Amino acid sequence: MFHQILFLMSAALTLICAVAVLVTKNMMHSCIFLLGSLLGIAGLYATLGADFVAVSQIMVYVGGVVILMLFAVMLTGGKDFVSKAQNLLGLAPSMGNKWTFSIAGLVAVVFGLTSFLLINNVTKVVTIKTQNDEFVSTVNQLGHLLVKNHVLAFEISSVLLLGALVGAAIIARPKRQ
Amino acid sequence: MTSTHFDGLMPIVIFMGLAVALFVGGHFASVLLAPKKPSDLKSTAYECGEEPVGTAWSMFNVRFYVVGLIFIIFDVESVLMFPVATIFRELNDMGQGGYALIIFLSFISVLIEGIAYCWKKGDLDWVKSYQVSMKNNK
Amino acid sequence: MNQTVVTYLAQYEFFDFLLKIFGQNTSLLAFLIFFLIAAVIVGIMATVGGLGTYAERKISADIQMRMGPNRVGPYGILQFLADGVKMMTKEDIMPKDADKFLFYLAPMLCLVGVFATLAVVPFSAGFTMTDLNVGVFYLIAISSLVGVGVFLGGYASNSKWSMLGGMRGASQIISYEIPVTLSILAITLLAGGMGFGTIIGRQEGLPTNWYIFHNPFAFIGFFVYFIGAMAETNRAPFDLPEAESELVSGYHTEYTGMRFGFFALAEYIEVFVVCGVAVALFLGGFNLPFHLEIDILPIQAVQFGIFFSKTLALYYVIIWARWTFPRLRVDQLMSVCWKYLTPIAIFNLIGCAVWLVVFNGHSIADLIFGSH
Repeated sequence: MFHQILFLMSAALTLICAVAVLVTKNMMHSCIFLLGSLLGIAGLYATLGADFVAVSQIMVYVGGVVILMLFAVMLTGGKDFVSKAQNLLGLAPSMGNKWTFSIAGLVAVVFGLTSFLLINNVTKVVTIKTQNDEFVSTVNQLGHLLVKNHVLAFEISSVLLLGALVGAAIIARPKRQ
Repeated sequence: MTSTHFDGLMPIVIFMGLAVALFVGGHFASVLLAPKKPSDLKSTAYECGEEPVGTAWSMFNVRFYVVGLIFIIFDVESVLMFPVATIFRELNDMGQGGYALIIFLSFISVLIEGIAYCWKKGDLDWVKSYQVSMKNNK
Repeated sequence: MNQTVVTYLAQYEFFDFLLKIFGQNTSLLAFLIFFLIAAVIVGIMATVGGLGTYAERKISADIQMRMGPNRVGPYGILQFLADGVKMMTKEDIMPKDADKFLFYLAPMLCLVGVFATLAVVPFSAGFTMTDLNVGVFYLIAISSLVGVGVFLGGYASNSKWSMLGGMRGASQIISYEIPVTLSILAITLLAGGMGFGTIIGRQEGLPTNWYIFHNPFAFIGFFVYFIGAMAETNRAPFDLPEAESELVSGYHTEYTGMRFGFFALAEYIEVFVVCGVAVALFLGGFNLPFHLEIDILPIQAVQFGIFFSKTLALYYVIIWARWTFPRLRVDQLMSVCWKYLTPIAIFNLIGCAVWLVVFNGHSIADLIFGSH
């Protein structure tokens, strides 16, 4: 029963914060609602039994990406962080317009259902047997996979990180006046 | 209804809830007990006796952002290393310690190169030295 | 399976009796037991946090050759209660142009980040609230919420001092997470697991089994972890974000009354948790110096006491360091982290990995005294 409660709480947190990210006009508040949404996703991972992924989501996203975004917003400075953006027709900000939301949401739902039906007919849906009383930690399995089956991906990811580091350092360097 | 392994996650949620409850309770207590006499002078920002001029939300230096970027890269690196470190001992007992060591070391060495690059180019300095910035801009 | 308090208590007959009362609903019973023990732990931790302020004032007084609080209660021990009451009765001022929502949220984020770590701290073998398989990793992950809280506290106050303190504080916290994580990685490597139960289980027996004496790399790793953890909790000599002589009070300048009390409480509890983690990882946790086969409740109490006394010893060292060293400048702070601690931590990690493979995981004591 706690499983369902955890799932409902995480899902509600994710969805509400995701909507709030788009609706608020203040950029800082958006970042904080993003934090809430990412925490909700970590909770969703936890309900699936993927403990390592949930904690690494918290570590990388909540601890790193959100703070980086906050720094980036502070970097741009400006008088205040309230958005006064308007769309092409000069109407109120399209971010917060309820018609935009409803139509976009409807389109997303229809698209999702259609693609699900299409894919469902093409591939077989595999049911995963969730074992409720035997819990094998995913960390050891992940480790074995990383070292045996996906070694190349593991090593290339380090090169990718190096590329990201060098690229970010070059871009963030102050240019010559 | 049997207890599942997810019951182990209950304390985490309980503690978060207790933190929020403690915060709300303390706030409530201060609403009850504390005086409430807002005045114009009290609500200005404290600046050691001077009048505050301008808002505090101005543009900040880029060095904070560079530190954040470098931190994220190393964060992702350590997250990737955790599963390998967890089974390292197991692999060693199975006799594949050398293989695991080579994989581990090659992963770390690429990132050592990264930090060495940032060090040499002066990204780790809080205050960039003149020679380094001249060398970068040539 | 995750070992929790409930699975520990399930071995007693009293548990079956309670189960019958609740109609065999194990989840509900587990929730109630967790809630009860969590409330007890929160109470203990709040007291520890309060007594931490008292201990800090007394120890600093001792170092500075004066008396410290000695009026409220015997030897001034009730001072923290008086401080709590005082803070509750102070007016709650919010600056004029502050960001109201974030102003409210910042202390709560700090509190949530710190309290959520209490769920995995290994108080004793049976009374770890929940022994997650990713225990220590979860702990460092959720402590980064405190960094966000510090930043928001500085930002929301709309005061230049606070903003500077908040930015510096956040960048300090995220920078020092790297050496801390790398030191913890080295211990995970040696122990073969991230859960506290695994790590402490490997340090059973004589103190020569502790990881701090395992190999020279882990020995250096302890100090890297300790320094990094002191910086993460914004304790002196790394307390530039709340620098008392420079930024007035840094990111919590504009906070009054109970809100400031929550920031301070979160800091003191975080110091306790960080010391507890150091004890669990490097100093053998709650282990008794000899193996015991029986597992009864008094043994749990003894283990609890051992854990507490080791943690409080480290707490004393942290308070001692605050009143001994001058404060680091912000560029010295960053260079200590990125140019000294991180390379040393990487070197430790490589050294531990090589040691594990070459010596097959034996500690120095094992090699010298040959008890394989």
